Amino acid sequence: MTVLRNSAALLGAMALMATAASAEIKVGFIGSLSSDTGLSTLRGAEMAIDELNASGGVLGQQIVLVKADTGEDVTEGVKAYEFLAETEEVDFIISGSIDDVSLGWMPRMQEFQIPTLDTWTSYVGIIDMIVEDYDSMRPYFMNIASDEALATLYIDFGKDVLKEKMGWDSVIILAEDTAFGGALTGLVTEALAPNAGIEVVDIISYDITTNDFAPLFAKAEASGADFIYLVSSVNSQVVSSQYVKLQVPMGMTGVNVAALGQEFWEDTGGAGGGISTLSPVPSIGFALDPVNAAFLERYQARYDTRPSVPHFNGYNAYHGLKQAMAAAEEAGGFELDAWVPAMEKQDSVFKKDGEMWLRWGWWGNDEIEPRTGRTYPHNVRFDITEPYDDGAPSMVVIQWYEDGTNAVVYPDKFKTGEFVLPSWVKK
Amino acid sequence: MGLRWYHFALWAGFIILMYAMPDLVSKGTLRTFIFANFLAIFAISWDVLSGRTGYISFGHPFLIGIGAYTTAILTKRFDVAIEISIPIAVVVTMIGSTLFILPALRIRGSYFALVTLAFMELIYQLVQVIRPDLTGGTRGMSGIETLTRGAVNGYYMSLSLMLAVAISMWLLMRTRVGTALSAIGMNEDSVQGSGLSTTRLKLFAFLTGAFVAGLGGAFYVHYLGSIAPRALFDINFVFTIIVAALIGGSSTIIGPMVGAFFLTYLLEYLRPFLPGAERYFIYGGIALIIYIYQPKGIYAVVMQAWERLRSGKSA
Repeated sequence: MTVLRNSAALLGAMALMATAASAEIKVGFIGSLSSDTGLSTLRGAEMAIDELNASGGVLGQQIVLVKADTGEDVTEGVKAYEFLAETEEVDFIISGSIDDVSLGWMPRMQEFQIPTLDTWTSYVGIIDMIVEDYDSMRPYFMNIASDEALATLYIDFGKDVLKEKMGWDSVIILAEDTAFGGALTGLVTEALAPNAGIEVVDIISYDITTNDFAPLFAKAEASGADFIYLVSSVNSQVVSSQYVKLQVPMGMTGVNVAALGQEFWEDTGGAGGGISTLSPVPSIGFALDPVNAAFLERYQARYDTRPSVPHFNGYNAYHGLKQAMAAAEEAGGFELDAWVPAMEKQDSVFKKDGEMWLRWGWWGNDEIEPRTGRTYPHNVRFDITEPYDDGAPSMVVIQWYEDGTNAVVYPDKFKTGEFVLPSWVKK
Repeated sequence: MGLRWYHFALWAGFIILMYAMPDLVSKGTLRTFIFANFLAIFAISWDVLSGRTGYISFGHPFLIGIGAYTTAILTKRFDVAIEISIPIAVVVTMIGSTLFILPALRIRGSYFALVTLAFMELIYQLVQVIRPDLTGGTRGMSGIETLTRGAVNGYYMSLSLMLAVAISMWLLMRTRVGTALSAIGMNEDSVQGSGLSTTRLKLFAFLTGAFVAGLGGAFYVHYLGSIAPRALFDINFVFTIIVAALIGGSSTIIGPMVGAFFLTYLLEYLRPFLPGAERYFIYGGIALIIYIYQPKGIYAVVMQAWERLRSGKSA
């Protein structure tokens, strides 16, 4: 009899433990586990979850994180989303996916209707999908400024700095032969250059496996252009370091993906001085407000592998995940009719010296952004007009200096350094 | 055709088991089955074209992509009904496959493989730069009309298509034409010497392979609901298809199916334990061991075991 009673008690305890184990909030991470950008989102989410769990969890339950690697592959992204939705049955998904990977799993998001936050993809076409089909897209939020907003502010950089400050009238584009290179070349030739009054002298397209850039830099120099506009997303450290080592006698700016990370200096073997690139915020070299500075400090104390400074999406993940959980608390769960309106109300403003500095809030669904004249439902509330008192700027321009330091050089309100030519370039 | 009663019994047993699957496994597992079904279709189509004739194609996604992009563009950009766009996509793919025929008339072996790889690279570049307003450019297209919703419906759809393809190809390959195609892979000159037109036979193999690839590609895109050049015209995708056919056993129909299921399940079951790229090391290691043990694939391993069992019993 005693044996039976003990067995029954044991079974009862096991059942209770099983119930307790299932009473948890499951957050799914979808993104690349082997890239600095993917890891930034993952780590931002991990830190937010640990802090929330330490303060009692959400809805009285602990949060657990489930990871699904996309390997930056579109089909793997679809499989990863299905895994999170149907095998793991997560309550909320946080994404560090690139554009085509997000577009790949988007039909699954529409099908499963799981609250999903994208921290890296900035494709405005996804915001268009929300405008056109709010009902099926309502679980989706993007807390990075869409690329259209990013481009609008970047054109201002062309006018204010490249044309007015530097006095450059002509440019030669040096762009990698990829779709990314083609798209950015289009942006420069059709928007930035005409708006800034800069003439495009020539376009040099190079293969991404190029190792020797000397002939291309010689061609650029011979073109007589005032500066080089570089578009590079693959192995950007190669072209950057050769520009420095060859001491190419003309200025170079543009879009340089490798330069977004704090490891750029190391990756170029210390030959990255003078390189500049646009970046979403907060970037490296960005003066942080006290709250985000404390986040960075905790991040660096916790992680000792790259990226030593999280990319912008690490901050997006940290704040976005906390907002999603706060919305769940308010809504009593993740049921969309209650959770979506609660999420739409989330607004985290961070001030520095009394001024608006960073903001993770949302555009109203029918609110029109005055400069672009369109709506941005479920897109982070950015500001692309001086004095940037309604939100964070959609982007900043950062520059690496010859001593290995970096700074934000545009817009003026956020700059921590000046846009300068490398020492070997004559003015 | 050498058909025996047990052939039909085995197919019937397999079909009954597969259709009962939604009652036996979770929805998450069904999703894995769906990808396995599509990979099986692609592997079978590759095997018809390359496994039989010996003309190894590294550009199979070129054909799958034509089918997928044709129906995606027709439905998304021109509001063509799926029941019309899919047949058109299949026809366009078959027309596109004739481009493969031209090099196949003059070259073979590694040269042919490289030319087909070039076709894939060519279309990868083209869809990004030519009319990106239609193709969606580098990001591709999302929000393409889907044929089904939910794991169970998607499973039945992919399974039915896979079975229809597998059984049709199985029957076809048991005809004299199928035998002649396999003979080309063994010795093309001998086939020619016996009075058969190898050009016609190759054309037939390429068109049949393209028919299946186009059909599979079209249904695949209407299952996914999205399409991107990087997802289709990718060397990893080519290798997955080829490895599925070879690891299962090429020049058979069951082999590519077994290979597709084995590969898909191996990777998906490792996901909870190894969420990162480490899964692929295990996958590569297992594939290597199988190849070393039996280069003709899992099908041959099973058949050897069966023969040993039979000879053991008769002794």
